[in-house]
Amino acid sequence: MPGKFERLNAAVCGGAEALGVAAAVFMIALTCADVLGAKLFRSPVPGSLDMMMLAQLVAVTFAAAGALLQRRHIAVDFFAERLPRRARAVLNGAVSLACLALFAVVAWRLLAHGVELQKSREVTATAAIPLAPFAYAAALAMVPMCLVLAQHLLGSLAEARRDEP
Amino acid sequence: MSPEATGVAGIVALLALFLLRVPIAFAMMMVGFGGFAALSGTAPALALLPQDLFDTFTSYPLSVIPMFILMGAFAFASGISERLFAAAYAWVGGLRGGLTIATVLACAGFAAICGSTAATAATMGKIALPEMKRYGYDDTLATGAVAAAGTLGILIPPSTVFIVYAILTEESIGKLFIAGIVPGILLTLLFIATVALLCAAKPQLGPPGPATSLAAKLKATRGIVEALLLFVLAIGGLMLGWFSPTQAGAIGAGGALAIGLARRKLSWKSFVQAGREGLATSCMVMFIIAGAIVFGHFMAVSKIPFTLADWVGELPPHRMAIMGVIIVIYFLGGFFMDSMALIVVTLPIFYPVVRKLGFDPIWFGVMIVLLCEMGVITPPVGVNVFVIKGIAPDVPLYRIFRGIFPFLGAIVLLTVTILFVPGIATFLPGLVK
Repeated sequence: MPGKFERLNAAVCGGAEALGVAAAVFMIALTCADVLGAKLFRSPVPGSLDMMMLAQLVAVTFAAAGALLQRRHIAVDFFAERLPRRARAVLNGAVSLACLALFAVVAWRLLAHGVELQKSREVTATAAIPLAPFAYAAALAMVPMCLVLAQHLLGSLAEARRDEP
Repeated sequence: MSPEATGVAGIVALLALFLLRVPIAFAMMMVGFGGFAALSGTAPALALLPQDLFDTFTSYPLSVIPMFILMGAFAFASGISERLFAAAYAWVGGLRGGLTIATVLACAGFAAICGSTAATAATMGKIALPEMKRYGYDDTLATGAVAAAGTLGILIPPSTVFIVYAILTEESIGKLFIAGIVPGILLTLLFIATVALLCAAKPQLGPPGPATSLAAKLKATRGIVEALLLFVLAIGGLMLGWFSPTQAGAIGAGGALAIGLARRKLSWKSFVQAGREGLATSCMVMFIIAGAIVFGHFMAVSKIPFTLADWVGELPPHRMAIMGVIIVIYFLGGFFMDSMALIVVTLPIFYPVVRKLGFDPIWFGVMIVLLCEMGVITPPVGVNVFVIKGIAPDVPLYRIFRGIFPFLGAIVLLTVTILFVPGIATFLPGLVK
C-alpha cells in the first residue's frame, strides 16, 4: 500500500501531467488553427510560433515527473538486472541520489536563468511574450522530478535494508 | 589532461553510467555538464545547462516530435488500428499464415500514421495476438512477426528516428521521410515472404483462417480509408510543401482526434489516456535530445568528433570498410542500448566521419534506421520484444526471440542490399527539390 509520500507524489505528478497534456493539446489546436487560417483565410494566428515554443516547454517539463514515475526514461538494464537484490537496491539508490543532485542543480539554474531573463526583459521574437515566467515555470516543474527521485531513493534504501524473505 | 583525453574519459564515464542504469538522458546531462565544466570552467557549465534545456524545450523545429507521437497515440485511441487489421485480415486471412501476413500489412499501414516501433508493435500486438492464438497459430511465429513488423514504425514515414536524425544532422525531415518509403515497402514484402516461406515449410505454424466473401472484403477495406486520408494529408502535405513538419504532425494529430470523435470511438478517458501516453513518450525523447545537446557541447569543446573525422579521413582502408566498421558498431550497440539513445550518443561522433568519407547523409539516415530496427528486436535490450512479452506473458522470452530471427534475416538482407544499392533509398528523395 503506498505511503503518504507516494500518494503526495502521485497527486503532484498527476496534476503536473494534466497541465502538460493541456499544453500539448493546445499545441495541436493552435497549429491546426494557424494552418487552416493561413491556407483558407490567409490569416494565420499571430504569434503562433512563439506560443508553440512556450507551450512545448510547459508540456515537456510538466510531464517529466509523470514520465519518471512511470519509469519511462530509458535506461540500460541488462547489467544491473544481474546483480543480487541488495547490491541492486544500493545501486538504484546511488543512481537516484545522483539524479536528484542533477535535477536540484537544473531547478536552481533554471531559476537563475529566469532571473537573468527577467533582468534583461527578454521576450519572444514576434508576440513579445516575456520569457522569464516560463523559465520559472520550468524550474518549478523540476520540483516534482526531485520529489519522485527522492521517493525512488527512499524506496531503494528500504529495499537495501530489508532482510531476505 | 588534453581536451581529447578529457573527451575520451567522458565517453568512458558515460558508458559506465549507462551500465549502472542511470537513465540515458540524465547520464548525458551529467557527463556533458561535468566534462564541459572540466574543460571550460564551472561558471560557463552552470550557465550552459539551463540554457541548453530551455532552448531545447522551446525549440520550434523539435515540436515535430510531440506532434507526430501524439498523432500515433490519438490514431490508436480512435480505433484506426483495429480497422486496419480488419481490412488486412479480410483480404489475406484465408491464406496459409494469412493472419500473420495481415498483421504485417496492418503494421505497415499503422506505421504510415505512427512513428514509433514500440507503439506499432504494442498496438498491433494487442489486436493480432489474441486472434492468432484463437486460430491456433504457433506462438513463436505470431509473437516474432508482431515484434519484427512493429519495426516498420520507424522506417515508413512518419518516423521518430528520422526526425531525431534530421534534427541532429540538420538534414531535411521531408527528404528522410520520402527515403523511407521504398525500403519500407520492400521490408513489408520481405516480411510477408518470410511468413509465406515459413508456413510453406511448416503448414502447422499458421493454418488458414475462414475465407471471406468479396462483399465483406470490400466492406472491410473502407476501414483503411481514414488511415490513408491521414497519411495523405499529413505526409503528403509535408512532401508537397503545404505544411512544415510540425504542422504536418499537428494536422495528423488533429485529424486522428477528429476521426475518433466522428466515429464516436474517443471517450474522455481514452483521450486523456492517449494524451498522457503520447506526452510521456515525447517527454522521454525530448529529454534524450536535451541530454545529447549538453553532451554534444562537451564533445565539441573536447574536439573529439573533428579529430576522429580527420583521422579516419586519412586512414588507408577503403571508405566502404570504414562504413562497415560503423555499421558493425551500430549493430552491436543495438544489442545493449535503446536505438534512440544509441543514435543520439553516436551521431555527433560518427556523422562528421560519414560526411568526410563522402556518403550521402540521407542514405546514411536510412541505414541508421534499419540498424535501429535490428536493435529493437535483438537480445538482450530488444524493446519490441519486451512490449510483446507484456501483451503475451504466457509466451517465454526465448520463444519470442527465436521467432524474430527469420525476420531479422529479412532486415539484414535489405540493409546489405541498400548498402550496395544506395539508389533504393536515395532515388525518391533525389526527385524532390
